[in-house]
Amino acid sequence: MKRFLSKVLKISLGVYSALFVVFFFDLDGKLIKYLVEPIFLKHYDDMPRRDVTKDEYLIGKFDNFDKDT
Amino acid sequence: MDFSVFEPAVSGAKELFSIEKKNVKEALTKLKNFDFANADYGKILHDFIYGKPHEERRLGDLYEDRTCLYKHREWRGIKDTFYYFNNIWLYNYIMAVKDIVTSDEPLAVLKGFWRYRWLGQGYMSVLHWFDRGLEGERGLGLRASAWHYRAMVCETIRQFSRLCAADSKLHNGQRNELWYKTFAHDETVAGAIFYPWRDRADDVPLQMVPYFVTVHVNANAVLSYIDAIQSIGLPGDPCPMCQAESGIFVLDDYPDYSPFLVTSNEACDASVSTSITTDWFFNRPLFAMPQPMQFDDPLVQKYCRKEIENCWKFIEEQTGMPFNKDEFLKHIKAFNEITEFEHEKWEVSAKTDYYPVNGVAQALYRIYSSQVGDRHQWHEIDAHVRKIMTKAVQNKINPYPKARHRVLAWSCAPMFYSFWCTWAYNCWGLKTVINMDSLMFDIIVRTDTEDHLMEDFTKFNEWAPMRRMAVGGYKHIFECWENYERFNCDMIMMYDQIQCKGMTGIHGMFEDEFRNRGIPACWMPHALDDRRPVTRAEIRNAINEYMSTVMKEEPLDPTLLEFDDEASW
Repeated sequence: MKRFLSKVLKISLGVYSALFVVFFFDLDGKLIKYLVEPIFLKHYDDMPRRDVTKDEYLIGKFDNFDKDT
Repeated sequence: MDFSVFEPAVSGAKELFSIEKKNVKEALTKLKNFDFANADYGKILHDFIYGKPHEERRLGDLYEDRTCLYKHREWRGIKDTFYYFNNIWLYNYIMAVKDIVTSDEPLAVLKGFWRYRWLGQGYMSVLHWFDRGLEGERGLGLRASAWHYRAMVCETIRQFSRLCAADSKLHNGQRNELWYKTFAHDETVAGAIFYPWRDRADDVPLQMVPYFVTVHVNANAVLSYIDAIQSIGLPGDPCPMCQAESGIFVLDDYPDYSPFLVTSNEACDASVSTSITTDWFFNRPLFAMPQPMQFDDPLVQKYCRKEIENCWKFIEEQTGMPFNKDEFLKHIKAFNEITEFEHEKWEVSAKTDYYPVNGVAQALYRIYSSQVGDRHQWHEIDAHVRKIMTKAVQNKINPYPKARHRVLAWSCAPMFYSFWCTWAYNCWGLKTVINMDSLMFDIIVRTDTEDHLMEDFTKFNEWAPMRRMAVGGYKHIFECWENYERFNCDMIMMYDQIQCKGMTGIHGMFEDEFRNRGIPACWMPHALDDRRPVTRAEIRNAINEYMSTVMKEEPLDPTLLEFDDEASW
């Protein structure tokens, strides 16, 4: 039990230290900026998009509400 | 699978590697050139434990060129650095994940990130939004301001989680139960309108998280939407807010999450134009609920009240859910508590130097919480901030000891540079005490009788952002002078939204009044959510020039005067 706890403590300390390094050197920001965001942006740029301007503007289609003026 | 989507990441990784290599080289060169023999180790130790004094921080040196990512985050002394690491960075990442995982449909949220540009591009960099707003912060100011940011993140996640969970586009065109129980409305329609249905349904503003909040977190996210609406023929000069709101439709980037929509003419007639495009593309039963422009006129009050009551009738007809007065009253009373605490905050801000909330946290939290209406996190965060503020006042702790000027920020703020006030304090000692948009929805709604309730709720609805001051008649925009006195300011930062025809029309009168009253005022030009017509660097230049040539002052931190943030978030 003691060895197990000691192992858990060491791993936790290691993870905490690694997270602090990520935090201090802004590695999360850099990862997002240089690796993750470019993937998403390329995907959004390449996505096929429906031409919504071809939808007919059905003015008055839902005009069945009686406003109490 | 198409692997070409990973190509930008490969080139990004190479670029990052070369930047980090350069940083390591620079750090090693500094170490090599360090004068170990004559160094002041006492001062080094003191700075390590407590952080450097304001004038020695050289915050600009931390920025990577163009992106303004950090070579390393600030060392704020042991206590504040570990507070930031544990209670802000780590805490908010964990809580953001927790909020998504415990939402109605976490998988839908992940799909939403992949499907919607405003979601993926807008919110990935959220912790950097904290960084920018909290630069240089220490002690109680750091803590109170960060809590405000946490509340806004929580609400943003609620909204986009609900949007994705109810979105038929993410469910193969199927409309699920949440679709029928989620109410869509313009972001400028007060969330309070939908209180009577909170026990059975929920409201999510159409443009709040797809548009408004993304600009603050990532100033690049809406640019493609502005370009999209212009690509179908809209000229470039209308209000960029309305351009972006409409542009999201052009790129088919709004979720389909509700059986109807409530719109308004808030803030001005440009919003009416947006409502027309919304009516066309959203293609759903729509209730247009206008608020009067000249809201002081007693003759309009009954019509405004009628509009609200008609809106409620419309919702009942669309949903089959009756109006619940108890639910309505419950949230009205709860929001009154939030307004009362806001008044306490203003009191502390106006009369003391102990207000622990920075300009950007004050502004964004207030506009967000009052527009969205009563939510549990506002009360939770207010409890945290109350404790901190009480400590500051009781112990006479000044969280901003380098403040040289108490600034009133007036008119519509630059959304893509809302954290200008953090920069301005760090660089020039300008403490933004209050801003115009904090002062709207400022009414305690009486609940003693039906008439009083509706009278005050009507006024609440009319006192919406921008309408309350910037659009409701010149005497309201001229409440600037009484608030200048009320908050004991000695300077005005006059926002100049160059695409707002309303504010352009009154520009000359402001010039005359500044001169006649002898008020130091700096004009800050901007284009609201579009960072291109006036860049952040140009905004900083305008302030730098004013402070050095008119106020004849020296910067507290000269490294913040000029830097390239063209590619930043």
